[in-house]
Amino acid sequence: MDAVSARRLRVVFWLLALSTVVLAARITYWQTVGRSALLGLATGQLRSDLAIPAHRGVIRDRNGAILATTVDLRSLYAIPGRIPDHAGAAARLGPLLGQAPAAIEKTLGSGAEWLFIKRRLPEEVARQVAALDIPGLGFETEPKRLYPNGTVGAHVLGFVNDEGIGQYGVEGRYDAALKGADGRLLVERDPSSRALATGLRTEVPARNGADLTLTIDLVFQAAAERELRAAIEKEGAKGGSVVVLDPRDGAVLALVSYPTFDPARVAQADPEALRDRSIAWTYEPGSTMKAVTVSGAIDQRVVTPSTTYNDVGYAVIGGRRLNNALGKAWGPTTVQQVLERSLNAGAAFIASRLGAEKLHEYLGRFGFGVPTGVDLAGEQSGTVRPLAEWYPVDLGTASFGQGLSATPLQVAAAYAAIANGGTLYRPYVVASRRDADGEHRTAPVVVRRVIAPETAATLRAMLTSAVDNGLAKNASLAAYSVAGKTGTAQVPSEDGRYIDDVYISSFAGFVPAENPRLVAVIVLDEPQSRLLGTVTATSAFRGMAIDMLRNARVQPDRQP
Amino acid sequence: MTVALAGRASVRPARRVTRAPARRHPAPRTVPARRASASWEVRSFAAVLAFIVGLFVVAVLYLGQTTAVSAGGYEVQRLADVRDELRRQNALLEVRIAQLDSPTRVENEATRLGLVRARTVPIISAETLAALR
Repeated sequence: MDAVSARRLRVVFWLLALSTVVLAARITYWQTVGRSALLGLATGQLRSDLAIPAHRGVIRDRNGAILATTVDLRSLYAIPGRIPDHAGAAARLGPLLGQAPAAIEKTLGSGAEWLFIKRRLPEEVARQVAALDIPGLGFETEPKRLYPNGTVGAHVLGFVNDEGIGQYGVEGRYDAALKGADGRLLVERDPSSRALATGLRTEVPARNGADLTLTIDLVFQAAAERELRAAIEKEGAKGGSVVVLDPRDGAVLALVSYPTFDPARVAQADPEALRDRSIAWTYEPGSTMKAVTVSGAIDQRVVTPSTTYNDVGYAVIGGRRLNNALGKAWGPTTVQQVLERSLNAGAAFIASRLGAEKLHEYLGRFGFGVPTGVDLAGEQSGTVRPLAEWYPVDLGTASFGQGLSATPLQVAAAYAAIANGGTLYRPYVVASRRDADGEHRTAPVVVRRVIAPETAATLRAMLTSAVDNGLAKNASLAAYSVAGKTGTAQVPSEDGRYIDDVYISSFAGFVPAENPRLVAVIVLDEPQSRLLGTVTATSAFRGMAIDMLRNARVQPDRQP
Repeated sequence: MTVALAGRASVRPARRVTRAPARRHPAPRTVPARRASASWEVRSFAAVLAFIVGLFVVAVLYLGQTTAVSAGGYEVQRLADVRDELRRQNALLEVRIAQLDSPTRVENEATRLGLVRARTVPIISAETLAALR
């Protein structure tokens, strides 16, 4: 081998040796110092850290019917770079999505690499879009809260806003229990982004929200909404409310407020419609309060149903004249007849026998002036002024439900106390809650004994006579005994005086009278028929009571 | 060695030269030595080959198993996706059932079909029936 060849060989050798050293050094570097960086890059490519969204709990009525639930709907996304013909795709998508093709085409040409075209599609629309088989389109599932019964029960349910937070009603009050807790999935993916069942897989399962069963009966709720809507439309009223309770334990069987809204489309709702008139709106109850006044007086044994006074058409209390409706004088009148004829003068007479202090006490015992404690968001307390702030005339006006305010739910709870023998229960809406720990039932809460059982029995009989023989006759049912009282109250203006010729009509009653299964209060705000609004209210009571009693299989207690 | 020639006078026997027997070096065991080394090489080669083949088989088995596990994993994931989709469809069907069962929808549909609310619903007492029997 000549010297030149040997030298060349040496050069090549050293070059190779140098390359080897460099390579070895690089390998060593990436295996030691740079290991974590490379590992991080690889991990980032291979692993994905996903949140597993928790499903919001289902809300059902007392019979298991779904009132609110969450389902995964498909949202349509596009990768514009993979769509060969934007205009053609837009033309085919437009009719299905209900959007102008030009708008879709503009969206596709916006320059985004990935974008949603429309989110949470109805399933049928999603199927039709999938059938188009347009390249570059795909679906992702997103949760959507659905209310299968539309506007029925809207106020008692509430709704879920865009951030997934419950608002109003049960959705608001029980949001923490309903929403659950998201989980986490750390998983390796292959180059096609498919999750690998083997390899690294760390999963913290999502804890789905608790399922709630309400005391609400969907059939009762639908009947109450139907009757209230019809009454309001007939009367041209501003709004109204219906509350139906089970007097045996305070369970809320129906809770209606009108105007109403669609919980699935809250963005289009009138803000006034969001107010729940059954718990978040107060009114002066009017003559329905006479049952409370008479209860207190009989409980205190200052009057009996047959106690008599001479009705001259008005009473004078504190120098103020309090007239009967239409100013009519009835002459010798019993306490029983005060309820039948709804006499303001009679109520003032009874209140004067009872005294302001005792009347004020009984208003408090029946729950007026404080929230009932119902498990819904936004309840108002109503107003009963402290006794020290009463004027002498307040003794008279409070006796027939003016000068104080209450919610329809408070009036219903008070009548429920009369119906069940004298016990005031806290109304409640959620009957039970089912979560990972099992089922948790709500125990009825006794607030206090309000009146003696004998007093309650006497009032039941008197209120039954008020329906059978009095102004509330329109509420009577052929096969059932009904107990109740109408109410027509003036509406106060902002300056404290009452607005002329504007009224709130109501009816509060329970059926069957002797073994009551439901208590209902119907309130119509400013019916156009004014003093005759109670006729419509009693008709509404009759219409929904028939359906409710029939649905609940309540045995008639009268021969038709 | 004396060779007796026929018809001739005997010849003086050749002088026998006595030599010391040649010192014999052990003949190189070329044939048996070659056979032994060839056998060792073959055995070594066979062993290494067997080892490599064995490694290859193990590797193939391992890869096969890993591949099967991975394929099984994909199948598990696919089935999980199918299960999730079926659950989703089931939930949608439950919602559809609830919508169809809605009392308001039923009432509206009845009205649309021309049905009217019953004015009276006769209620027959069980006790009355029993008494009649």
